[in-house]
Amino acid sequence: MAGLVRDKVAIVTGAGRGIGRGVALLMAAEGASVVVVDPGVSMDGTGADQSVADEVVREITQAGGRAVASHESVATMEAGERIVGAAVDSFGRLDIVVTCHGILRDRMVFNMTEQEWDDVIAVHLKGTFSLVKPASVLFRQQRSGKMVTFSSTSGLYGNSGQANYGAAKDGIAGLTRVVAREMGKYGVTVNSVSPSAATRMFVSIPGEARALRSERGIMGASGASEGVRGGPEDVAPFTVWLTSDEAAHVNGHIFNVAGGMVALLNDPEPVKTLHKEGRWTVEELIRVFPATLGVELYNPAPPQATA
Amino acid sequence: MTDILKDKVAIVTGGGRGIGRCVAMLMASEGASVVVVDPGVNVDGTGSDQSVADHVVREITQAGGRAVASHESVVTMEAGERIIGTAVDTFGHLDIVATCHGILRDRMIFNMTEQEWDEVILVHLKGNFTLVKHACILFRQQRSGRIITFTSESGLIGNSGQANYGAAKSGIAGFTKVVARDMGRYGVTANSIAPRAFTRMVADVPEEAGKLRAQRGIAGMPGGEQLVGADPEDIAPFVVYLASEYAASVNGQTFLVYGGEVAIMSQPRPVRSIFNDDGGTWPVEKLAPLAREYLTKDLSNPAPPQPPDGKGGRG
Repeated sequence: MAGLVRDKVAIVTGAGRGIGRGVALLMAAEGASVVVVDPGVSMDGTGADQSVADEVVREITQAGGRAVASHESVATMEAGERIVGAAVDSFGRLDIVVTCHGILRDRMVFNMTEQEWDDVIAVHLKGTFSLVKPASVLFRQQRSGKMVTFSSTSGLYGNSGQANYGAAKDGIAGLTRVVAREMGKYGVTVNSVSPSAATRMFVSIPGEARALRSERGIMGASGASEGVRGGPEDVAPFTVWLTSDEAAHVNGHIFNVAGGMVALLNDPEPVKTLHKEGRWTVEELIRVFPATLGVELYNPAPPQATA
Repeated sequence: MTDILKDKVAIVTGGGRGIGRCVAMLMASEGASVVVVDPGVNVDGTGSDQSVADHVVREITQAGGRAVASHESVVTMEAGERIIGTAVDTFGHLDIVATCHGILRDRMIFNMTEQEWDEVILVHLKGNFTLVKHACILFRQQRSGRIITFTSESGLIGNSGQANYGAAKSGIAGFTKVVARDMGRYGVTANSIAPRAFTRMVADVPEEAGKLRAQRGIAGMPGGEQLVGADPEDIAPFVVYLASEYAASVNGQTFLVYGGEVAIMSQPRPVRSIFNDDGGTWPVEKLAPLAREYLTKDLSNPAPPQPPDGKGGRG
């Protein structure tokens, strides 16, 4: 095809590795100029390695594409503005923002430290806001723009050991839904991809969480953990399509992408309702709930006997 | 009164006003000893007024119940730990945590300041972690406990003008699902409630967002038109039910509660999917027609493009 996003300018975060790299490479192959954003941190957010983004830029330019590297961490508002600035300064405009960046600091909630919480929330959630906000300022003025955020099945279904990551990723889904409502009228679309791909992010899930997941069996698994199909590059084709003019009608939705599968996820909605004229009493709820809403209610982690 | 929370000890954040106050009062009248947590801030998080929590404690004790006030803000780990300590020191143990606290700083995304974002995320999202983490240490040891968090339709569905609040509240829903998985095996439950009630938090939604919502019609503000008459007291009975022994098997769920309605929210599930039969990475040119003509065909747009004058019509 090689022209799906021709003449567009895209920012792709976390683009040095994994899913982000796959998105950046395909975006460039389909004709976009790409700002490859990656500070080159290790999985837990420590360290920095400029060569990670530079290498992807080199791959793109050697293949005849256009790209520049940004080694910013997205966790501050200033960095978000500088990244948007890099796109405009280097390529004259901005059309597409794809936020694939992320770190992991898995720990059971009762052992999770403040720093493990703060770092994951800052990078994922604020790091998405720090880019989406300045991009929205621009997109509102030009009355066009495409944003794709990355949420996770970890937040949508709940993965043991990922209270910080699940909160951050579901937060991104919520942010996406609000921004879709705010920006849609300006011709802008905002959607979210919840990928299941075997990247180093999954490989770093600690053994305890892994064991818990396998104990839970098929219902417990989120699909992200055990049902891993395909590689990170499998997420790119649909993501790039979402940023194309072909997808101008798609706004405010969440898609699960795994290997060669793309699924539209349902919007949260009431599935079973108890109704009464006036206020329920606690006694009434005790009597009525088990035989109505409580029927076949799935407990993701039933109580276990003490070992 | 049925005394279904007899001898239980509960922490209720935001317990000074609105939904939290109703939850605290009903828990006390059902026999629980309650730590009423409220720094008495304004809806935007500024100021502080100890009398807000004290007043609820007085109401409870005057009615013959047991309660103690905590004027902590929940935003630091130390505060979370101190609140847990207050429950244990005052009443001997802890069984229930209900996090009803919150602030609002509504603004359209393109105008939202870093401070408006940070403070809402801090109070809602971290303010849940600070308490829930420390409660989980205790609950895991005692192999029992109930956690009830408050999410919002704003996050689940998306309310214009609430990027910070929607992110925070949706984050709480995700957080709660993970905690349910982390803690369920220890006999602990964690569930989340998306309430609709006419409290000062709703009254505070700025006019611009209100107008936008009105323009958007029914697809806009979830339940906005139904709010009139939705009483925060309507939320409390179901919270008490979830906190009781009767709800021991209810874990990891999100409930929508308003008036006489209690609804279970759907779990995420695929509604339409496309597959690459050939395996391997999907060539864009093969994916595009399927994405266009099947996967996203006729999808509803919550805010369709409008001409620059912004006066109706669809571009």
